[in-house]
Amino acid sequence: MNDAITINVNNKDYSVESGQTVMQALDKIGYHIPRLCYHPKLSVEGACRICIVEVEGSANYVTSCTAKVAEGMKIKTNSAELRKARRDILELLLDSHPVDCNTCERDGNCELQSIARSVGIKKKHFEGERKHYDLDLSSPAISRDPNKCILCGRCVRLCNEIQGVTAINFTGRGFDSTVTTAYNSPINSSVCINCGQCINVCPTAALSEKYYNVELFKELSNEKKLKIVQIAPAVRAAIGEAFGLEPGVNMEKQTVAALRKLGFDLVFDTQFSADLTIMEEGYEFLDRVANKGVLPMITSCSPAWIKYAEQFHPEIIPNISTCKSPMSMMSSVLKTYFAKKRGIDPKDILSVAIMPCTAKKYEAQREELKLDGIRLTDIVLTTRELAWIIKSAGIDLVGTEEEEFDNLFGFSSGAAPIFGVTGGVMEAALRTAYELYVGETVIDIEFKELRGFAGIKEAEIKMGDKEVRVAVAHGIGNANKILEIVRKDPGRYQFIEVMSCPGGCIMGGGQPYPVGTDYIALDEELMKKRASVLYGIDRAKTIRRSHENPEIQRIYKEFFERPLGPKSHHILHTSYEKKLPHGIYKK
Amino acid sequence: MTTALENLKKIKQGALQGLIENGLLSSTRVYIGMSTCEIAAGSKAVWDFFTSEIKEKGISDIQLKQKGCAGRCNLEPTVEVLQQGKVPFKYINVDENKARDIFKKHIIENNVESRKRTEEMLTDPFMLTDRSKFVFGDVDFFRKQKRITLRNCGIIDPESMDDYLSVRGYEGLAKILTDYAPDKVIEEVTKSGLRGRGGGGFPTGLKWKLTAQQNDSEKYVICNADEGDPGAFMDRSALEGDPHIVLEGMAIAGYAVGASKGFVYIRAEYPLAIKRLRKAIDDAKKYNFLGKNILGTGFNFDIELVLGAGAFVCGEETALIHSIEGGRGTPSTKPPYPSISGLWGKPTLINNVETFANVAVIILDGFEKFAAIGTKDSKGTKVFALAGKVNNTGLIEVPMGITLREIIYEIGGGIKDGKKFKAVLTGGPSGGCIPEQYLDTQVDYDSLKELGSIMGSGGMIVLDEDDCMIDVARYFLEFTQNESCGKCTPCREGTKRMLELLTKITSGAGEEEDMKKLERLANLIKKTSLCGLGQSAPNPVLTTMRYFKDEYTAHVKYKKCPAVVCKGIISSPCQHACFIGGSGAPSYIGLIAQEKYDDAVDVLFRENPLPVICGRVCHHPCEDKCRRNAIDRPVAIRELKRFLTDYAHDNNKSKTIVPEAKREEKVAVIGSGPAGLTCAHYLALKGYNVTIFEKLPVPGGMLAVAIPQYRLPKNLLNHEIEQIKNLGVQIKLNTEIGSKLKLDDLRKEFKAIFISTGAHKGLKLGIDGEETAQVIDAVDVLRDINLGKKTDIGQRVAVIGGGNAAIDAVRTLNRLGKEVHLLYRRTRNEMPAWAEEVDEAIAEGIDIQFLVAPVKVITESGKVKQLECIRMKLGKADKSGRARPVAVEGSEFIMDIDTLVPAISQEPDIKWVTGGDSGFKLTKWNTIDVDMETLFTGQEGIFAGGDVVLGPKTVTEAMSHGKIAAQMIDKYIKGQEIKRDYKVTKTALDVDVFEMTEEEVENLKRYEMPMLAVSERAGNFKETELGFSKTEAVCEAKHCLRCDKEEKE
Repeated sequence: MNDAITINVNNKDYSVESGQTVMQALDKIGYHIPRLCYHPKLSVEGACRICIVEVEGSANYVTSCTAKVAEGMKIKTNSAELRKARRDILELLLDSHPVDCNTCERDGNCELQSIARSVGIKKKHFEGERKHYDLDLSSPAISRDPNKCILCGRCVRLCNEIQGVTAINFTGRGFDSTVTTAYNSPINSSVCINCGQCINVCPTAALSEKYYNVELFKELSNEKKLKIVQIAPAVRAAIGEAFGLEPGVNMEKQTVAALRKLGFDLVFDTQFSADLTIMEEGYEFLDRVANKGVLPMITSCSPAWIKYAEQFHPEIIPNISTCKSPMSMMSSVLKTYFAKKRGIDPKDILSVAIMPCTAKKYEAQREELKLDGIRLTDIVLTTRELAWIIKSAGIDLVGTEEEEFDNLFGFSSGAAPIFGVTGGVMEAALRTAYELYVGETVIDIEFKELRGFAGIKEAEIKMGDKEVRVAVAHGIGNANKILEIVRKDPGRYQFIEVMSCPGGCIMGGGQPYPVGTDYIALDEELMKKRASVLYGIDRAKTIRRSHENPEIQRIYKEFFERPLGPKSHHILHTSYEKKLPHGIYKK
Repeated sequence: MTTALENLKKIKQGALQGLIENGLLSSTRVYIGMSTCEIAAGSKAVWDFFTSEIKEKGISDIQLKQKGCAGRCNLEPTVEVLQQGKVPFKYINVDENKARDIFKKHIIENNVESRKRTEEMLTDPFMLTDRSKFVFGDVDFFRKQKRITLRNCGIIDPESMDDYLSVRGYEGLAKILTDYAPDKVIEEVTKSGLRGRGGGGFPTGLKWKLTAQQNDSEKYVICNADEGDPGAFMDRSALEGDPHIVLEGMAIAGYAVGASKGFVYIRAEYPLAIKRLRKAIDDAKKYNFLGKNILGTGFNFDIELVLGAGAFVCGEETALIHSIEGGRGTPSTKPPYPSISGLWGKPTLINNVETFANVAVIILDGFEKFAAIGTKDSKGTKVFALAGKVNNTGLIEVPMGITLREIIYEIGGGIKDGKKFKAVLTGGPSGGCIPEQYLDTQVDYDSLKELGSIMGSGGMIVLDEDDCMIDVARYFLEFTQNESCGKCTPCREGTKRMLELLTKITSGAGEEEDMKKLERLANLIKKTSLCGLGQSAPNPVLTTMRYFKDEYTAHVKYKKCPAVVCKGIISSPCQHACFIGGSGAPSYIGLIAQEKYDDAVDVLFRENPLPVICGRVCHHPCEDKCRRNAIDRPVAIRELKRFLTDYAHDNNKSKTIVPEAKREEKVAVIGSGPAGLTCAHYLALKGYNVTIFEKLPVPGGMLAVAIPQYRLPKNLLNHEIEQIKNLGVQIKLNTEIGSKLKLDDLRKEFKAIFISTGAHKGLKLGIDGEETAQVIDAVDVLRDINLGKKTDIGQRVAVIGGGNAAIDAVRTLNRLGKEVHLLYRRTRNEMPAWAEEVDEAIAEGIDIQFLVAPVKVITESGKVKQLECIRMKLGKADKSGRARPVAVEGSEFIMDIDTLVPAISQEPDIKWVTGGDSGFKLTKWNTIDVDMETLFTGQEGIFAGGDVVLGPKTVTEAMSHGKIAAQMIDKYIKGQEIKRDYKVTKTALDVDVFEMTEEEVENLKRYEMPMLAVSERAGNFKETELGFSKTEAVCEAKHCLRCDKEEKE
């Protein structure tokens, strides 16, 4: 606990805790100084200079994000001169920004836009040369528009500090500074893992997902195709926010209805294939344990994590479960079992996935995932994109009649929804694996030690004669820490869950922007609210173990015969390879 | 156990023993400057020559040594020959030929006496330590300097440890390791008052103390050698000339703060400094001055070099630290300061090269001695890289508190080519421009800061009248804009916008609003940027706006670049420098080059109302600014103009411009000099009914009655005036206004009046006996002669003055067979008369006595008998930088004369217009006070211009007033707002460049005007200049670089 000191803000004394920054103190007092480069989860940069305040005795203005409070400090936050300086700095940012707000996807939830309004920019004084950079649309997942970049560096710090990837950094000097990849190569040939977390912290539309709405509408009017869509668990936990609802509202049934209104023939639940994943993954784990396979086994449902491991830690590939992700399992089933059952050509199926994730767009086009030369998932849309599409199609998501998923792949156990939150895959897997191994149900179905948002979570589970030690990491930075532990102590864990995004899929790179709400990206309060939706779904179900899902049981009976069988191996499992993006050289 | 000092002593004895055994002390030693600047000047060839010659000739008792830079850039390469027991010699500007000569005469033939001794030569016997006396010598350049940091530069061989040891090398380190606790070292440094020499001026002792206080087992010392200011080369020279001194300073600092590892961060563009530092570090390790257990004391200190990629911002300490760490060189906010959390988060002491170079001396000589130098708050010395428009450019080290004037005029030897000082820029792109009125400011951290500049790391660039301050500001802003790291918004985006605004202003598109915007941005960037680069980047703009606002106004409002630099505004320098504007020079010169004479004449006649006059008597400011000056000599623009008027005359070509439709309104012009004629010309073209009233019996004013015929033949003058009359202008001669005809009478008849009656009244000398009849002013003498009147001029005439009237008078009187003497109180250099006129006067055999002033006229029975004179000498430069003449006491002398002709200056004689309650206002120079923008006198409908407003000035200045008055009168009559329209200079006609190879252009030389032989001038008034032939004119026209066709920025 730090000492209490007195500071004077706008001629009033306040008692504040020492050791904090002026911005933190002002936030608590109730002054929200505008800010752009600052993000509470990232290191302090002091670059944008928007958060300046006047401190008595200092010749220059002081950035409130960097300066620490001191006893007797006299601060002014709103003097006319200071407001003018803040205004001018923001104008400088706007002067080299396209300011094409009415056609920009972030119109209405753009931080730059709202700060420009709040500092009171009415007239431009210094307009001059604009920046002219090519758009980088090389990646199926992440698009870059450097013209809109204000060089706050949040994405750079996030990619470096939280994800440990450092796919992007600043290059160039002065006015020609840009954020770009190594060697300025297109982002798809960089080390970018497509997690999309940079998008969530970007204050403008300099970073966004690659949009597929044009393709979607085109395909939806294709009469020949059977149009099928699946929704990931995390989508229903957050899509309401894009429609002005408070976080924490389950929008599952409304989303199903909206998708039907959009013209989809069948709406399936990725939670079904999450149960399927648990079957395969659970058996794979038990198989590795029984047959002295490579351990620890690491989960494979996060495509950004897969790319990260392939690029930076190819030595860990044998540890990664060969199971496809739930999305790809669903698509695989659609274009095999389902097509066969319906007697249609898989080519006549349009398989669309609504995901909280940008990396899923990348996953969908991975060569390794093709089945007999056919691409499984045709179009992947993020939650944000779906929200826009729903709005664009004039559908009232919030007020729509609730509808249920279609049968066959619409039913899921309680283990499935929690896939969307960190620790959930592990919890779901353990629910099944424990029972399969020990032969009895788990006493407490909720693995409390795997819940919550600590960077790394560990648990020891006594499975009959066996002590199984598992670990859960969310955020690639944390995953890397676990890999470090494994490198030093290979026998420490038997099973590891990795999710690329801090918080898990609920905080995925494709989830709605929290701008304009009380929440910000990477916010733990937001994580909790979204997670509560998924845990709530789980708790409300009577069947809470994947293997108890009757649809799962049927598919094994009718088609796959058994988990890890030859058919499921062919259809539900995949392979990985060492990847060398541009700039990474073979040793 | 032996102490560090004892160990050092042993090392030194060993080194000396080695030297003696090798017989090196008794040999001939040739020192050749081998710093980067010397090598660039050509010293490598000299070195190679000596090396091969010594080898070839098999000379064994000669030692060839390299030395660093002593700072005299303009004298490089330098060679010194030192021989035991003989006079040391220094040679300057040595090339291979000179080297051959030195080798043959000095070394082989040993024929030193036959050689001219240089001013820097001293005859003291020498040892290495005494060499400084000889090298630096007793010359102005060094007299005012005080060398601490650079004490060994140019003295020792920077690559020789023996040399460094011989100048108390590593004694400072040994001393502290023997006698001082770390605290004591810090105390010494603190008490010395040393402040950071990188520019900020933070107290060095305090920085050391802060670092020492940090409780961390790992600390670092960094030497900031990332010198990046344009025009600054202090650190490079210091490191190239004496690398050990910096290493020793760092080791002392490491001991004081508790660090065992040091880094020198140096830019990779300094390969020689890097090479020498590397060698110095290796040598120091060999001798155990660096490394483990230094000098047996248990103190460990190691130094590593880190090469920077040459980003200016890496001179900022946090950016530099990030760069060493392998990151991007961008600064981070302070606090935390590096002293607390620096390299890899450890306490880090970071000082500049020069700061470290001072440390050993402070330790060895004690802080008192150091603190005794300088001012109250700035102690010691400062090294500056003196560059720009001074005669002695180079590296200097001066005591703090010296004035800028001393540096520029005494060390720097004044401004090059006798030009006028304009400003001095300290602190490079982060600094500011200090104008003339602050030249007596003491150089110290705080005084410079007060002026809006900074001490900086030591770049000092002197600017003269040919430098445009906005262009300078733009240049530096372009630099900082390029070097901005791009991290923080104000610096990244703001400097870009400032640069755009400055570019707009220098291109002539500036608006008054832009200056406000510039200021607003400058203050914003200063107050909100993250690091020192941004915070100081606006300084050149802010200081130039503060001190040279008029230049900004000139660009923005008047579309003029006073220094004739900014390409976008000036089109070509010749046109821009011309008072009447748009002279069309590049066009008609281009046409002459293509032998299209008729077209050329058309352009000239369209652009210039008095081309014949200008072609003969214009003082051609165009030629002063001609870009060809940089290669050889300016294009002979006046002569080419004259060629065209001769061509037109010979071919009966007259003006082809057609006036606008006739108008009713009548305008009166009083005075038919160049101002009046020009005004009448332009008004007539506008269709007005113009009448010129002339008091004299001839038209032309001073052109007719002051300028002698041999310069401007009467028939040509009259022909030119005829051309103006042909436009419908009436000239009423012998009509004085104010006598019979009153101004009020004119007012009734004429809608507007332009007064251009000139300045025809000579000024008095203010000496005794001046009231005598035979004391006649030059203008009166010339008028009488020109009008063919009989004069009272005797046979022995003294003319007083140095202007054109004085020269015209002496040359005229000389032609009349008088014995004339011209007396001028300064020297030829200060003479205001045009150089070619003075040359001709001298050629004609006229006696000109410089540095002589009249004291009194001695009369006898009312007649001039003698003139008492006194000799003068040039004293100190006055505020204008021009030397003031001072009387030499007791140097009075008498001249026998019978006539005295003062020709010092003239003023208007305008009682007629100012008498009573006329309402006209006069200036203190007795000229009519008008609104200089519009030439409006304040009296309804009356304008005034030319010498009656300006005082005695040039023909073209008078013409320019005539032109302005015509425009204003036109507006006045038409009821429009009376204001000037300022436009960017444009070339009259776009003429293709005559294609030539670059070589051909370079090889062309200026054609000299053919002159009438001096022998044919006596007793007559034949025109002395004969004019170019066609061939000459065409060749001279090709001499033009045609900069009007240069790409605009």
